[in-house]
Amino acid sequence: MITLYDYELSVNCYKQRLMMAILGVEYTSVPVDFYPGWEHKSAEFAKINPLGHIPVIDDDGFMLRDAHAILVYLASRYDPSRLWYPVDDPCRLGETAQWMLFAEGTTNTASSARLHDNLGYDFDIDAVRAGAHKLFRVMDEHLWFREREGLDWVVSGAHPTIADIALFPDVALSEEGGISRLDYPALRRWTDRVRRIPGFVTMPGVIALGESPWD
Amino acid sequence: MSPGDGGPGPASDPRHRWHPIAAVDDLVFRHVYHGKLLGRELAVWRADDGFVNVWENRCLHRGVRLSIGASDGRELVCAYHGWRYANRTAGCTYIPAHPADAPARTICNRTFVAVERYGLVWSAEDPEGEAPPEAAELAGAETLVLRNLPVNAGAGLVIDGLAGYDPESLAAVARRTGDAAALQLGDGTAIVFFVQPVDSDRSVIRPVMTPAPPAADRIGVLRRHSAALEALRKNLEEEAARRPPAEPMTPALEQVPIHLAELPEPSPRGRQAPLRVRVARKWDTAADVAAFELESIAGQLPTFQPGAHIDVHLANGLVRQYSLTNGPGQLDRYRIGVKLEPESRGGSAAMHHTVREGDVLAVSEPRNNFPLRRNAERTVLIAGGIGITPLLAMAQALHHSNLGFELHCFARSPDHLAFGETLDRLGDSVTAHLGLSPADTAAAIARALEGRSPSDRVYGCGPAPMLAAVRELAEAAGWPAETVHFEYFANPTEIDDSSSFEVALARSALTLAVPAGRTVLEVLRDNGVDVASSCEVGACGTCSVGVIEGEPDHQDVYLTSAERAEGARMMACVSRSLGPRLILDL
Amino acid sequence: MSVSGVCADPVVRDQWYALAAVDEIGADVSTRLLGLPIGYGLGPGGAARAWRADDGAPIPARVSYGYLWASVGEPPAEVFDVPETREPDRRIFNAGTLGLAVSAPRAVENFLDIAHFPYVHRGLLGDEPHTEVADYDVVDRDGEIWALGCRFHQPRAAAASTEEVVAQYQYRVPHPYCAMLYKSAPGHPDRLDAMGIFTHPLDDERIRAHLFLCLLDDVNTDATIRRFQQTILAQDMPILENQHPKRLPLDPRAETPVRCDKTAIAYRRWLSSLGVTYGVIPAGAG
Ligand code: FES
Ligand SMILES: [Fe+2]
Repeated sequence: MITLYDYELSVNCYKQRLMMAILGVEYTSVPVDFYPGWEHKSAEFAKINPLGHIPVIDDDGFMLRDAHAILVYLASRYDPSRLWYPVDDPCRLGETAQWMLFAEGTTNTASSARLHDNLGYDFDIDAVRAGAHKLFRVMDEHLWFREREGLDWVVSGAHPTIADIALFPDVALSEEGGISRLDYPALRRWTDRVRRIPGFVTMPGVIALGESPWD
Repeated sequence: MSPGDGGPGPASDPRHRWHPIAAVDDLVFRHVYHGKLLGRELAVWRADDGFVNVWENRCLHRGVRLSIGASDGRELVCAYHGWRYANRTAGCTYIPAHPADAPARTICNRTFVAVERYGLVWSAEDPEGEAPPEAAELAGAETLVLRNLPVNAGAGLVIDGLAGYDPESLAAVARRTGDAAALQLGDGTAIVFFVQPVDSDRSVIRPVMTPAPPAADRIGVLRRHSAALEALRKNLEEEAARRPPAEPMTPALEQVPIHLAELPEPSPRGRQAPLRVRVARKWDTAADVAAFELESIAGQLPTFQPGAHIDVHLANGLVRQYSLTNGPGQLDRYRIGVKLEPESRGGSAAMHHTVREGDVLAVSEPRNNFPLRRNAERTVLIAGGIGITPLLAMAQALHHSNLGFELHCFARSPDHLAFGETLDRLGDSVTAHLGLSPADTAAAIARALEGRSPSDRVYGCGPAPMLAAVRELAEAAGWPAETVHFEYFANPTEIDDSSSFEVALARSALTLAVPAGRTVLEVLRDNGVDVASSCEVGACGTCSVGVIEGEPDHQDVYLTSAERAEGARMMACVSRSLGPRLILDL
Repeated sequence: MSVSGVCADPVVRDQWYALAAVDEIGADVSTRLLGLPIGYGLGPGGAARAWRADDGAPIPARVSYGYLWASVGEPPAEVFDVPETREPDRRIFNAGTLGLAVSAPRAVENFLDIAHFPYVHRGLLGDEPHTEVADYDVVDRDGEIWALGCRFHQPRAAAASTEEVVAQYQYRVPHPYCAMLYKSAPGHPDRLDAMGIFTHPLDDERIRAHLFLCLLDDVNTDATIRRFQQTILAQDMPILENQHPKRLPLDPRAETPVRCDKTAIAYRRWLSSLGVTYGVIPAGAG
């Protein structure tokens, strides 16, 4: 059984909860008092992750840290279809890696702006917001062209990948960091599609789409 | 003005001009598009019937953006308190905090026009003209919408910049007009760049090209222009950043009507028929049951809630009530079903024999005395014969919201089951009980009422003996009276109007004598006291009035026995007084 | 960045505002209060200190209920009284502080609202289809607004039983920018848990909201309770930040109240009668 060192309001922990919910993987969540306790910076937690950040997973003794690395692991280990992390297709695998790196960028801009606005983190807020807008423009254009080809996800092909999961929380919560998505209609449509993936779960701040029969 | 007529440019108020607000392709299935025009935010969504709704992006209740709400294809649900707003009218159809109330019809969000042209969705705050003007460059040949580009620069600056757009050195000839720049390229193609003024310092470039390139080249063409426009955008934004910042636009928010600003008070109104509808379709939906689809002659049909009925005023002077059978958001037409009653006083006979497709009828606004609560875990709907009509509206609303329900339809034979095509779409939740004896009917009802849990509700509509059976069986099965709701379509009681008495109106300070042979309602109307009414036989509940003192002689079938015993309300159309005097809350 | 003006409204200016939970204060902090750049920190012996950022001049500061409070005007002698804090068996602590792009009155109004539970706090404080808000009373007690007798179906406890579980609520508004909530306390049939929202208005469209707890709960750890409360506040965030306009409109015709909004109506009228103009759009101001 997987243990997730978790904080409910963290986008990076949410990425793991979302992936595991979609893959139907059971796990136990060990809450880390991120705020106001700063428990992830404690000497105790340093034994779990010397870098002092979450998420960390412990899969029957196998420890792994860093949100995007954990996604790679979860999909490789627990997705028998091999579509979420498409190791069998070099082009799609390359694209997945490319967008995972892009997600480092959205985390460092959009999600940093959120930490600044919500928890008072000391970032240059104008710079991180501008950085997020730059990336969102790229993503919106990319997804617009994907739609022209009849494709739904950031990586080509018919199936979503861990890159969608890595990007979604940074995008879906951007407005908490003062980054409006008004200018990114293709990005907004993609967030609808992600929210309709079977097994999707929300986190506080991410609004679920209403349920209605698809008649 | 359009590029087509070389018009006078942007001198006129931009709020009177048509602007693109989205691409047609932006409005995908059940998506709520977040738009902005001239500083005003818009929630734009296409309903499943194809209608494009352009609404102020603000829930009338507490100002929450509707673009974060959810579309179910027929209604938009606000994310904060779940208020539901109907396709087309934007009228509120349901307030979950008060599930027993029919929301005031006039709670209505602000809507704006929408027209689709050149692959774009156009709107305007207060438009001159029915549709956006033609663009001469785009006439005739097939068009292709290029990728839109939001720019952090005002529309004027952007249009000026676009006039110099010629990434491939095709000797473009530009023509700049009020809200667009049109380019005629040397290779025979033309591009019109419509510029959507988002705010004083923001715009969206929406280019449309003609003729559309062959399908195989399309992606390449789209990519080339996207890249070239992005280069242009960089320059425009640098230029805009050098200019002094413009004041943001501050569009005025409309006030809500004065009667909505305070807590709702009932507003009595007489028997009125302000709407004119045309019979768009009439067909036999079951033996002796004619179905009618009624469409508005002018303007939008008003919002209705499941359980609502309309009064139909017939040429012979009779007024009849018919329940709307529509599902949620179906506001293009009202649909009713009319049973031919053998002992008809002329109402159903006129509907069956005289009214034809194309005829115009006077009808009231929908009124709901049979509101559907949507806070039940399970809702049991029991329909006898033509009593299916209001329950059909309820069943569709419940089905569409994924709420648990069972619809039991009792009918003499399969031929007597009305609106079968709609029932089919409701799937397993519908059970038809055909040709049962009274004893078997009672047994089937008893089975339907088994296994009650506390939040469950029952709604019954049908002939009086059957409703009496439902009432008895429900009581026997432990259903509290307030969880069982009925709609009668007639009052089987023989009304005794032989008494005479006095009514005192507490708020109007009037005392009136009601003689034998006249109703309270008639006497009130004669004296200028207006009370809304509909069926006028004590069945529909519209003319309910509060009783402050005295003991009413009810004679209606609308109130529950508990309500009758309490004596706090009565039906002005049939109820009288057991004592010499009643004090009414009027 | 929002650079809204400094508050000129004397009613709002002359109040105390909670800036931070005392046990979360380390080094001196720079912030804004009602648009004015200020700093605050703890002096020797834990004494509260606050000052204007421009000239360093001290401004009124104190510690109450575990928070450092300050004022940029002439505040009353005491912060409003929370008598429950004197009951020795209660646990008093800050559940969390979150920054929100909304005015303080919009946040207070949300705190007073029950009808959104099944939508915004689905599965925690409410659940469809149990959406009905029963009638309750709103009264004026010594110039404060109280809402009494509020009841609402709560799903979490309902999982264990087939009967509906109905929580009892009371609300109290003792300060234009702060509100208290009293809720049935599990295991203490005659007493109520108390919690509050104390807002720190950075300006008229941005706040930091502190969730103040004064609980009888002797089962859960602080961390568990905090987690629950932070979740609730974070669920409200996208709603609050999507309200337009951000300042609370006091004109009765700006928005559409229904019966369950009685507390909100009373709160808006009360702000009007106090003459509040900051963080709101006064009636008649368009
Ligand atoms: S604000 Fe939309 S339902 Fe209350
Ligand atoms: Fe809330």
